[in-house]
Amino acid sequence: MRMTVADMKAMEERMIGDLPWLSPIGALVLAAVIAIVLALVLPRRRQGLVGAWVAGAHLAAAGLAAAVWIDRGFARVLEGTVMVDGLALTLTGIVGIAGALCVGLARPMLAGTDREGEFYAVLAASSLGAVVLGSAADAALLAIALGLLSLTSFIMTGYLRHSERGNEASLKYYIYGTVSGAVMVYGLTFWFGIAGTTDLAAVGRAVAGAPDAVVIASTALVVVGLAYKASLVPFHFWTPDVYDGAPLPVAAYLSVLPKLAGLIALARVLPMALPDGAVGWPTAIAILAAVTMTLGNLAALAQSNVVRLLAYSSIAQAGYLLMGIAALSGSPQGIPALVYYAIAYAVTNIAAFAVVIAVQRERDRVDLQAFAGLGRRHPWWTATLILSLLSLVGIPPLSGFVGKLEVFSAAIDAGQAWLAVIAVVNTVISLFYYLRVIAPAVLDTPGDAPPATTAGRPLNAVLSLATAATVAVGVAAEPLLWLAERSVPLATG
Amino acid sequence: MPWLTIAVLLPLLGAALTAALPARLIAAPRIIALSAAGLSLLALLITVARFDPGAGMQLVEEARWIPSLDVAWRLGVDGMALALCLMSAILFLAAIAYGVGPRPLGRTAAALLLSLQGATLAFFLAEDFFLFYVAFDLTLVAMYFLIALWGGERKRYAALKFFLYTLIGSLPVLLGIIALSLSAEGEPTFDMIRLAEERPIAGSGVGASLVFLAFFVGFAIKTPIVPFHTWLPAAHVEAPTVGSVLLAGVLLKLGTYGLVRVNLQMLPDAFAQFALPVALLGLLSVLYGALVAMAQTDLKRLIAYTSVNHMGYVVIAIAAAASTGISPEARALAIDGAVLQMLAHGLVTGALFFCVGFIHTRAHTRELGALGGLMKPMPVYGSLIALAFFASLGLPGLAQFPAELQIFLGAFDAWPAVAAVAVIGIVLTAAIFLRALQRAFLGETPERWKRLPDLDRRELVTLLPLLILVVALGVYPRLALDLISSGSWLQ
Repeated sequence: MRMTVADMKAMEERMIGDLPWLSPIGALVLAAVIAIVLALVLPRRRQGLVGAWVAGAHLAAAGLAAAVWIDRGFARVLEGTVMVDGLALTLTGIVGIAGALCVGLARPMLAGTDREGEFYAVLAASSLGAVVLGSAADAALLAIALGLLSLTSFIMTGYLRHSERGNEASLKYYIYGTVSGAVMVYGLTFWFGIAGTTDLAAVGRAVAGAPDAVVIASTALVVVGLAYKASLVPFHFWTPDVYDGAPLPVAAYLSVLPKLAGLIALARVLPMALPDGAVGWPTAIAILAAVTMTLGNLAALAQSNVVRLLAYSSIAQAGYLLMGIAALSGSPQGIPALVYYAIAYAVTNIAAFAVVIAVQRERDRVDLQAFAGLGRRHPWWTATLILSLLSLVGIPPLSGFVGKLEVFSAAIDAGQAWLAVIAVVNTVISLFYYLRVIAPAVLDTPGDAPPATTAGRPLNAVLSLATAATVAVGVAAEPLLWLAERSVPLATG
Repeated sequence: MPWLTIAVLLPLLGAALTAALPARLIAAPRIIALSAAGLSLLALLITVARFDPGAGMQLVEEARWIPSLDVAWRLGVDGMALALCLMSAILFLAAIAYGVGPRPLGRTAAALLLSLQGATLAFFLAEDFFLFYVAFDLTLVAMYFLIALWGGERKRYAALKFFLYTLIGSLPVLLGIIALSLSAEGEPTFDMIRLAEERPIAGSGVGASLVFLAFFVGFAIKTPIVPFHTWLPAAHVEAPTVGSVLLAGVLLKLGTYGLVRVNLQMLPDAFAQFALPVALLGLLSVLYGALVAMAQTDLKRLIAYTSVNHMGYVVIAIAAAASTGISPEARALAIDGAVLQMLAHGLVTGALFFCVGFIHTRAHTRELGALGGLMKPMPVYGSLIALAFFASLGLPGLAQFPAELQIFLGAFDAWPAVAAVAVIGIVLTAAIFLRALQRAFLGETPERWKRLPDLDRRELVTLLPLLILVVALGVYPRLALDLISSGSWLQ
C-alpha cells in the first residue's frame, strides 16, 4: 500500500496527537535518556542522584498512567499499535512502583562502584520495554518490545563484569533469550501471512479462515517468546541459573517486571489473535499452567540455595497467574484475577527478595543455613520473611491469599475446576519449602553468624514498604479489586 | 455496642500490642494478655445476657469489607457458637494464666496465644465465608509457631506435620467455599447466613456430593476422624502443655463446628446421602481411638487418642442428625448432645493436658511405667486428675455423661445398631483411665517420687475453674443446654 505525502502528513499529525496518551511511556523514555546524561556528568559519589531520578521517573510514570485513565479514558493509539486501556495502564502502574522499589534494592549494591548511573538507565529502558510489551497490539511492536526488554535484562544480569557467575548467567540468558525471541518472530511472520498486516486484531479476524494446523503451529511459536519471558515450563530453564548468577537486585527485578509483562502480553495477545477460544487455546494454556506450577513447586522442594528456591517459586507462581489467562475466555473473572494476583505477587516477591538481599549483605551467603537465627538478630526482617513467604503460599488475610482466591474462583467459574484442584495440591507442596526457609529463621540460634548490621536506608525503605503492601493489598483488597475489575483489554472488532 | 466484634478484636489488638513492646518490659505481655483475654470473655458474657435462646442466629454485626466479592465483616451468634466461644475464652484465659515458654510470659508467646484466641473466636462467630476461612488458616499459623518454638524433642517435625496436614484439609474447604459462593442466586456472595437460608447447592447430585466431600475432608482432618487423624498424636505429644490444651480443647472443635455449620446446615441433602458412612467413620474413630489409647504408655499420647474417641461420638451425633430417618426431637437431642460433648470434652481434656503438664515438669517423664503411687506425695493433684479421668470416661455427675447420653439417645433413633456398638467405647475408655489411674497414682510410691511437690497456686488457679465447670455441667447440664437449644436454629 503506497502512501501519499498527504497520507503521511495526516498520520504524523495523528501520532503527535496521540502523544499525551503515551505520557507514561514518555516518562520512562525520558528517564532512561536523562539517566545516561546524568551518569556521564555526575561524579561517582553523586551517582545516587541518577537512581533517585530513575525511581522518581518510575513513580511519575505510574502517576501519569493514573492521570491518563482518569482524564482521557481508553484508546488505541499510534495507528493501532499501542493499546492504552485498563490492562496497559495498570501494568504501567505496577512497573512504575515495582521499578522504583527495585532501584532502592539495587542502590546498596552499586553505591561507590563505577558505572552505577548507567545501571539505572538500563533499568529504566527495561521498564520501558516491559510497559510496551504489555501494551502492544501489533506484531512488530511486540517483537521490538520483547527485544528491548530482553537486551536490557541481559545487560543487567551481567552487570558486575568481574563476577564469573554473572557473566555465565548473562551469556546463558542471552543465548536462550535470543533464540526464543527469534522463534517468536518466526511465529509472528505466519500471523502476518494469515492476516496480511501486523495488526493483531486483524489476525483475530482472519484466523477463522486459516487452516487449523497453521494457526496452532504459529501460535505455539509466538507463545514460546512470551512464555520464555514469563518463565513458563518448558521455557523456564534459564531462570534458576540467571537468578542465581545475576546480582540479587536484578534477580528481584527479573522475577517481577519481565514476568508480569510477558503474562499480560499473553493475556492481551491470545484473545485478540484467537477470539472465542479458537483452536482450544484456553485448555492448552490451562495445561501449561498445571505443568508450570507443578514443576516449579517440585523443583523448589530440592533446593538448599534460597535464591534458586525463590527462582523455582516464581516459576510456580507464574503457573498460578496463568490460571487467570486460561479462564479468561470462559469467565469475565479471568483478567481481573490475573491483574490482582499480579499486584499481590509483585509486592510480595519484592519483599521476599529484599530480605534475601539483606541477609546476603550481612552474612555473605544465601543457603538455608544463612537464615539461621534471623529472628533473634533481626526480628523485623524475619517478620518480612514470614509475611512474604506465607503470602506466596496463600495464607489469609495476606495479599497472596486473595490473589489465589481470585484465580481459583475464575478457574471454577470458567469450568476448569480440575485446574483449581491441581493448584490446591501445589499450594500444599509449596508450603513445605517455604517453611524450610522460615523454620531456621525462627527456630534456630544464630550460631557463628556475623553480628547484626543495619541494612541501610534504601533497603530498609523497600523492606517496610513492600511488607506493608503485602499485608495491605490483602486486608484492604477492595480498592485493588475494583481496579482489577476495570483493568480489562479494550475490545477489538 | 458491637460486643462480638469487641470480643474478637480485643485479643487481636492485644497480640499486636505485645508484639510491638520493647523487650525490657518483662511483666507487660502477661498483663496485657490476661486483660485482653479477660475483657474478651466479659464481652461474651454480656452477649449471653443479651442472648435469646429461642431466636436462632441473632445479634448479627456487619461492616463492609470487600464489596466487590460481597465479603463483609459479619459476626453472629446462635447457641452453638456462643457456647463454644465461652468455652474457648475460658480455656484461653487458663492457658495465658499458666503461660508457655520462659516465665513471665514473653512477647512472642503472648502475641501467639492472643492471635490464636482472636482467630478462634472469629471462626466460631463468623457469618461470612471469607472471614471463616481467614480465621481457619490463622489458627494453623499460630499453632504451628506455638509447637515449633516451645515444643518437645521432635517439635519441628510435629509442627510441620500439623501445618501441612491441616492445610491439606483447609484447601478443599476453600474450593468448597468458592463453589458455594459462585452458586448463589445472582451475584456471588460469601454471606453464610444467606447461603444457609437459600442452600444454592441443593439435592444430592454429583456436584453437591463433591462440594460436600470437599468440606468434609477438611473438617474431618481437623476433628479428627479416623483415618485422617495421623497428625494428632505427634502434634499433641510434642506441643507444649498449653499448646496441647488449646489444640485438644479448642482447635479440634473447629472441625465439628464446621460439620454442623456448613455440611449440616448448608448441604443437608448431600449429607443425608452420606450420613451412614460418616456415622460409621465416627464409630471407627470411637473404637479405634479407644483401642489404640489402651496400648499407650505415654500419658500424653494416651489422652490424645482418647480425644479421637470422644470426637467420634460427636461425629456420630452429627451424622445421625443428618440422616433421613430421624425424628425432629431426636435430631435436637443429638445436636444438643454433640455441642455439649464439644464443651465438656474441651474442658475435661484441657484439664487433663494441664495435669499431664504438671507431672511432666516435676518428674520429667510421662511414661505410665515410670510413674507410680503418686497419690501419696501429691494428694491434691491425684484427686483432681482422678476427677478429670472420671469425667473423661463419662461418669454420671460429670459433664461428659449428659452429653454422651444425649448423643446415644439421638443416634439410637437413627441407627440403633450404631449407637449400641458405640457404647462399647465407653467401656473401653473406662478401662483406659482406670488402668492409668491405678498404674500412675495408686499403690506403692517409688523412692524417687516420694518428695514431689503438690500443685502450687498457679497450677491450681489454672485447673480448678475447669474442673468446677465440669462438675457444674455434669450436675446441672441445663446451664449449657438451655443456651445451645439447637431446636431453635437447626432446621
